[in-house]
Amino acid sequence: MMNEADAPKLKPGVCIPWEDKRKEYPQILGDEKVAQKVWEDIDMLAYIYIWFCLYGF
Amino acid sequence: MSGDMEQIYNERLKRYVAAMRNEKPDRIPIRPLAAEFCAAYAGYTCQQVTHDLDYAFDAVLKCCADFDWDAAVSNMVFVWTGSVDAINLKYYTKPGIDTPADSCFQYLEPKDDDAHMKEDEYDALIEDPTGYLANVWMPRVSRDVQPIGEPSTYRNNLAWLKGGMSVLQYFQRLGEQGARMKNETGTVSAIAGCLKSPFDIIADKLRGYRGLCMDLFTQPEKVLKAVDALAPHMMFNALAGADPDKNVPITIWMHRGCVPFLSLEQFERFYWPSLKAIVEEIWSQGHQILFYAEGDWNENLKYFAELPEQSIIFHVDKSDLFKAHEILGEKFCLSGGIPNELIAMGTPEEVKDYCKKVIDAAAQDGGFIMDAAAIMQDDAKIENVKAMTEFTREYGVY
Repeated sequence: MMNEADAPKLKPGVCIPWEDKRKEYPQILGDEKVAQKVWEDIDMLAYIYIWFCLYGF
Repeated sequence: MSGDMEQIYNERLKRYVAAMRNEKPDRIPIRPLAAEFCAAYAGYTCQQVTHDLDYAFDAVLKCCADFDWDAAVSNMVFVWTGSVDAINLKYYTKPGIDTPADSCFQYLEPKDDDAHMKEDEYDALIEDPTGYLANVWMPRVSRDVQPIGEPSTYRNNLAWLKGGMSVLQYFQRLGEQGARMKNETGTVSAIAGCLKSPFDIIADKLRGYRGLCMDLFTQPEKVLKAVDALAPHMMFNALAGADPDKNVPITIWMHRGCVPFLSLEQFERFYWPSLKAIVEEIWSQGHQILFYAEGDWNENLKYFAELPEQSIIFHVDKSDLFKAHEILGEKFCLSGGIPNELIAMGTPEEVKDYCKKVIDAAAQDGGFIMDAAAIMQDDAKIENVKAMTEFTREYGVY
């Protein structure tokens, strides 16, 4: 649909990428994937809300 | 759900889906996009259904039960003041507060010098659309949200909290309403997921139509880049709300792409390429799109004919339904076309005559859904909505 060069720097569905959040933790002792999934799921709710304000009403 | 109700629901879903796929069902499905009409029919004011979801949902359910429609929108009065007031939004008038209780909500177009996005902010929007919306746009459209750098306030903090919670609640209630329609009246929830064209979003909510029109001449390349920057987000959000079973369509509410809002040359350059790509991508994932083509799109029909077969349902408002059938009917289902002014001011006999004319001309081979031309508000006469429904039920049998 669009050139890779034109792709947005932040993917749709993301406000604060996990990669940025991950830097706040010196280490993750358990399963990083679990932490990442929950972060991204909740982050997406904020994204959905911000965009819903624009197009939904 | 009782066995009888489940059977009725399944028959209606099959009928509705067959028509949308441009096939011939057992009879023409009836799917009115009924908003404040439901309030008037159920005895509620516009204020009651705009403010209170219980009234809004009850009104829709009463119409579904009494009119025997195949499909309906679970709440066509889409601006819920619970969410609007949570962020103290500037750009709507609310019935019962800003306007009389029996008037519909209205969108307030900002003045040219007070657009929600300034003419020199395209780069910021293009660079990070989500960040721009949260940090710049929200403080402009909300009386409570504070701009970045300004001292935060209690109202600011509550606006974000209440806004998010209210929308979460609204989505949850919509799901419950869809289940009630299915279980209590056997009615299909007609649509799922919302799409706007990137150009319309810039015109409606960011630069304003007049501001954007100036930008088309003064900074056209910026407009094109902004359209491209918004497109993946519009598609993502549309798919996020889509029907997982891929039965009912995502709806695009198109406002300002047709002549005379845009010339065909402008449409070809600014409006159509991004929208066409979005439609093709959404269709490749198995979702149809209901083109709610508000206004007269006669000059643009040839472009829509380029889309993949079955990918859209073209809803006729002020477009020529017979011309739309000629140009699009081979590939796509059509819906609507019964003039709202006729439903508001005509007689039942006149409504029936018009329905017959439409069915005879555009629905002989299937691929047609009966509806008014535009969303029905509180001026639609009950006897005329009954006439449209009952006539189609009898005459629309294949």
